[in-house]
Amino acid sequence: MISNLLYKEVRLAAHPNLFIFTLMGPLVLIPGYPYTMVFIFGLIGNFINLMYTRENNDIYYSALLPLKRSEIVLGKWLVLLVSQLLTIVVSIPFAFLRLQLVSRPNPVGIEANIAFYGFGLMIFACFNLIFLTSYFQTVYKVGTSFLKGLIPATFVAIVVEVLTHFPTLSWLDAVTFDGQIKQLPILAAGILIYSIAMWRAYKISVRRFSQVNL
Amino acid sequence: MNLLEVTELSKNYPTFKLKNVSFQVPEGQIIGLIGVNGAGKTTILKALLNLIPVDHGNVRMFEQVFLENELACKQKTGVVLGGIDFYKEKKVKDITEVTKRFYEDWDEAAYQKFLTLFSLESNKKIKELSAGMKVKYLIALALSHQAKLFIFDEPTSGLDPVSRDELIEIFLQIVKNGDKSILFSTHITSDLEKCADGIVYIKEGELVQAAPKGEFIDHFQKLKEPDETEALSLEDIMVRMEGKHYDF
Repeated sequence: MISNLLYKEVRLAAHPNLFIFTLMGPLVLIPGYPYTMVFIFGLIGNFINLMYTRENNDIYYSALLPLKRSEIVLGKWLVLLVSQLLTIVVSIPFAFLRLQLVSRPNPVGIEANIAFYGFGLMIFACFNLIFLTSYFQTVYKVGTSFLKGLIPATFVAIVVEVLTHFPTLSWLDAVTFDGQIKQLPILAAGILIYSIAMWRAYKISVRRFSQVNL
Repeated sequence: MNLLEVTELSKNYPTFKLKNVSFQVPEGQIIGLIGVNGAGKTTILKALLNLIPVDHGNVRMFEQVFLENELACKQKTGVVLGGIDFYKEKKVKDITEVTKRFYEDWDEAAYQKFLTLFSLESNKKIKELSAGMKVKYLIALALSHQAKLFIFDEPTSGLDPVSRDELIEIFLQIVKNGDKSILFSTHITSDLEKCADGIVYIKEGELVQAAPKGEFIDHFQKLKEPDETEALSLEDIMVRMEGKHYDF
């Protein structure tokens, strides 16, 4: 069933921009850039994708298939999950490449290191929990849902970029092996927060969508 | 056997109420759901498919409680709610390719047969299909996944007389073996005169009468004026039940 849902999402529902914004990992090669934008672009990709879903009446089409309402939610939830994990996986080789190609540190904000990916998962978590649950309250207020999710997610991103400028928190900016080992708790916290947020996002979305008149 | 049994279906909207609607769709029959625009026909069809959650009532499909066996029931149901208003930019073949994956009993040979029979081109985009072709495409999909119960919402509205006649012919072919049934809503009563076995009449969210067609028409002959000799048709019945008189 999961493979059929994903097949439907990719073959019919997905907007091409979803793929473009998911593959923004190479941005970490820019010598001076707020790298958390890699994650923010991912959010924009998913927003455009759900707009496209709405314009194509995908939810209506899906509701007529032999699917439960919870499985319709699962389809959209999977798109968020897969696209965001792909964003991270695609960017990792470029983070390594940056260390080889650019010797100067990123003057703008955080480096593409382990802490960066931990914070990235927190940005995604914060957005997903608000965006998905808000969307499934009506399945048509995509813009409002996006804004509600984007504001706190952007706030987290700005905080992350600013934190690294404080001398006491410079360890968050380290790119050495030992320095990044110290950042592992940030990554663990990111994984934990992301997992909890995704679980809650699914549960709340299913509950809300069960009451929607299509 | 009834393929569909609807019992006391109720739904409250702020400005509209569906009140305790009950009716059955027996195997091998075409049942027409009639009523004026806004009477609640589409609400009933959506409610029985769980597209809108109901406040009260039961739906049994294929002798099973629908909500408890939603997936199994949907596997055997073909639904056409007002033509296709999804994925208009996609090609017929793309939608089929995705849709067929969700049905256990998909019959590709049957699908190809119906494409040819209905003169459907799989490379056409949905927006390039005429209104009649859109309905036929959805019927082809339903027939290919071996649907037993067909639910249509105003399938003949907006079609030219030839296409309407063609669709009625298809409906009669669908039920001819006696194992499939059709429930279709319409306000074009002449279509029902040609093919329906039973009529369910809805007015302002309430069931007025549900009966076999002959019995239904006989029931409403009481609306005849004293000097009228000819029997009232379905259209006459609806007009007399719903007609308003204006005096400016």
